[in-house]
Amino acid sequence: MAGKLLEIQNLTTGFVTEKGIAKATDRISLSVEKGKTLCIVGESGSGKSVASLSIMRLVDYAGGTIFEGSIRFNGDDLAAKSQKDMINIRGEHIAMIFQDPMSALNPVFTIGDQIAESLQLHQRISRPEAWRQAIDMLQMVGIPDPELRAKQYPHEMSGGMRQRVVIAMALVCKPALLIADEPTTALDVTVQAQILELLRRLQDELGMAIVLITHDMGVAAEMADRIAVMYAGKIVEEGTVLDIFDHPSHPYTIGLLNSIPGLEGTRGEELYTIPGTIPSINNLPAGCRFNPRCVKAEDRCRHQEPGLNEYRTDHHVACWLYSSEGARNTAGSASEVNHL
Amino acid sequence: MSVANLKEIQPEPGHDTDLQPILPLPPSEKPIGLWHMAFKKFMSNPFAVSGLVVVLFFVIVAVFARVIAPYDPAAIDLLNANLPAGSPNHLFGTDELGRDILTRLIYSSQVSLLVGFSVALISVVIGTIIGSVSGYFGGFVDTFFMRIVDVMNSIPTLFLNILVLSIFGSKFSYMILIMGFTSWMGSARLVRGTFLQLREMQYVEAARAIGVSSWSIIGRHLLRNSTAPIIVNATLMVGGAILAESGLSYLGLGVQLPDTSWGLMLSNAQQFMLVDPMQALYPGLCIFLVVLAVNFIGDGIRDAFDPRKKVKIPRRRLQQWRESFLKSKI
Amino acid sequence: MTEFLIRRVLQSLLVLFLISIVTFGLIHAAPGGPTQIFLSPGLSQEAGRIQAHNLGLDQPVYIQYVRWLGGMLQGDLGQTFKNNLPVSEILWPTVQNTVILMGVAWLFAMLIAIPWGIYNSTSEYGISDQTASMISYIGFAMPVFWFGIMLQELISIKWDLLPLSDMYTMGKEGDMGDLFMHLVLPVSVLTLGFLASYVKYSRTSMLEVLDQDYIRTARAKGMKERRVVFRHALRNAMIPIITILGLDLPILVAGAAITESVFNWPGMGRLFIEMAVAREYSVLMAITVITAVIVVVGNLIADILYAIVDPRVQIGRKGGVSS
Repeated sequence: MAGKLLEIQNLTTGFVTEKGIAKATDRISLSVEKGKTLCIVGESGSGKSVASLSIMRLVDYAGGTIFEGSIRFNGDDLAAKSQKDMINIRGEHIAMIFQDPMSALNPVFTIGDQIAESLQLHQRISRPEAWRQAIDMLQMVGIPDPELRAKQYPHEMSGGMRQRVVIAMALVCKPALLIADEPTTALDVTVQAQILELLRRLQDELGMAIVLITHDMGVAAEMADRIAVMYAGKIVEEGTVLDIFDHPSHPYTIGLLNSIPGLEGTRGEELYTIPGTIPSINNLPAGCRFNPRCVKAEDRCRHQEPGLNEYRTDHHVACWLYSSEGARNTAGSASEVNHL
Repeated sequence: MSVANLKEIQPEPGHDTDLQPILPLPPSEKPIGLWHMAFKKFMSNPFAVSGLVVVLFFVIVAVFARVIAPYDPAAIDLLNANLPAGSPNHLFGTDELGRDILTRLIYSSQVSLLVGFSVALISVVIGTIIGSVSGYFGGFVDTFFMRIVDVMNSIPTLFLNILVLSIFGSKFSYMILIMGFTSWMGSARLVRGTFLQLREMQYVEAARAIGVSSWSIIGRHLLRNSTAPIIVNATLMVGGAILAESGLSYLGLGVQLPDTSWGLMLSNAQQFMLVDPMQALYPGLCIFLVVLAVNFIGDGIRDAFDPRKKVKIPRRRLQQWRESFLKSKI
Repeated sequence: MTEFLIRRVLQSLLVLFLISIVTFGLIHAAPGGPTQIFLSPGLSQEAGRIQAHNLGLDQPVYIQYVRWLGGMLQGDLGQTFKNNLPVSEILWPTVQNTVILMGVAWLFAMLIAIPWGIYNSTSEYGISDQTASMISYIGFAMPVFWFGIMLQELISIKWDLLPLSDMYTMGKEGDMGDLFMHLVLPVSVLTLGFLASYVKYSRTSMLEVLDQDYIRTARAKGMKERRVVFRHALRNAMIPIITILGLDLPILVAGAAITESVFNWPGMGRLFIEMAVAREYSVLMAITVITAVIVVVGNLIADILYAIVDPRVQIGRKGGVSS
């Protein structure tokens, strides 16, 4: 389809454990348009980080393997590529930034070295030229005194500064897609806002698409064009940012929204929390994965897993509440998503 | 679906009844204690279990040496000197004085095991005390003890042992004490390290806040939580002590004649290498087996307590899975 | 950096000072006191008193200590009481011989162990990794002297391929080829011991680094795995390896003592053992102190290397690296 930069279909990524294969993502399908932002929202353990690592094919190094599905980037299936071919895609066409800026930078190299290295890996330019561009990039991400800073080591900078460096490093090759895995979680609230603002500005300037992984509905509201809500390895709801915030449908999404302070409920009332905890991927409940925590669970939810169906135009939900014919579509869910 | 419908499914905040899940959470596996789990894991590790079997075998041999051994270990029989292995009355042969080698091997296991376990015990007790005091109180106390550790670590333990033994004389009890006093630094560092981590934990601060005494915090909270690494360390110390004893005895500074030990037998065998080369094989093999077994046990315990232990899957296997996935795509 | 250096040097001097006190104190704590230890047995009372006076043993302990320490600092290591030979004359050649043996074995082991460990970290649980792990188990459990004796029996006696012991064949002193032949067996014994721990160290250390976030970042930048391992991981992995090498020095020296005895290598370790049996305490004290100096200086060098490799080691960091 035109405009789709990234299209994931039926992606199943699993880890081999003592008890067998644990599926961290289970036949998930997602897509991102050029220049747009998709937020994947979910608690820790929902499989959102594994999904992002799968796109980069970095999951191979974390002991995981893609078992099923395709990841089409500009039409190329990344899931079928070898690690050797991925080298030319990573960093140049798809870049990634991670949660903890304190540990994402190599402590024994200077900032400038690390940014210039990204350039030199993908472009045939001299070292001084790479350094010059690295310093420009540092300027662009709002680091004062870039010439001086480039010669410093990571431990000489604050967390917010380091995250700016990480962003500079990721974007120095002007990638078409940036995957940001919880980029603000480890930072102070004020710094968070600055980093999000920076990402938005760079997105406009460079025209890149962003896949933003977050557990924070507030961040998603600020950044997203589309939102996908993940729970225990499945996408439970997917739609535009307006769909999700104005018409949240899956009980889990509703729970997530209700647990944001100040959005629902008035002052003085206790903050809503979803009861229970997310199940481990080794030990999933039968039926709908959310049923043990769901306030609306019925008998059917405990036995059959709902598929992801279009419930309003371009808004998909995986919940029996919205399926008039009941068990209709358990297996056919994947094909439904195809014409997203 | 209408907006009204949507409203209906929204749980109203503040109403407890609404927030209760309809089904209880899936029952998790029956809660099993850490020790029980570790034990199960240990017993499913073939190396650890075979190590345990070997050590138990030597313990039984040592305890019942008097019953099992066919001869008196010091009985000299010059008529039957230097018999080769496989002789009718001497399964492993005899040495240059006609002493039965099998008997001497059996009695030597007493020495090795006794030294191994008591030295490990002494050094772990000293190490734990110094390490916990150092790690809990920090500051000057810590600096003081760590300088002592530096000093002790700067003189090779073997030299220190030899020096002390040559000054005070090579008595068996001295040897055990000295070996214990010169090998506690490793466990002290280990305990100190865990304490430094643990003392920042919330529950320790909470205990301190409600006025629990320092010693009680050390004893009840911190030590209990560092038991596993201490046990692992102690086990590995046993192997080290057995090796050290054999070394000292080989050099003539450990166990003295007419007593016997595997190290002593080796030094004797080396002198008669040209006459009977096989004599050197057995005692060394015994030391090797016991130490290997103890180390297997130690590693088994460590793995049993390590929650992060990885599944051992060669990269090659993962590659095979991946290839089969790619084939299925085509 | 300068401040870091100064503090480490001061710390090392303190440790050396304490070691000298411990060594000296040990001799003086012996039953019967130093007089008993230093004097040749069988002397008449009068002769004993004269000898004690000549050796300064009738002075107060602290004066004896200051004298001894002063002597040590000026390179006067005392005299043996048998034959009254200067200790330094006996000692220095053996130090040299030990350095030859240890240096060769240590370099040899490092050259094999570190690349091997790195390779194993990138192919965990593969055949090479399993082999290394087996060698580690064997190396940790096998008494070095037994391994040495077995090699002697097999290679020197049964097959007659290499010399049984000593450093040179009689009459060939100084011949490099002869020295090489004599080195093979003891170096093999020592190498096995070193290999056992160093392959494991470098593998563990690499694995730990390869698990770090910045390695994931490096991969996300799109570099070849070889570059990830050798440029980004290796430098970080060397940091703990360097520390451990420093901490291991005493084990190296002591390990050589037994190997030297087995192969009759005229080194410092064997001298120590011989002198312990002969109760030559001035030699023992001198060797203990010299070993300590080697170890402390070695640790100091390791710390300096550490500070060079790791930019995080800064002036203000409390306690430096070793604590």
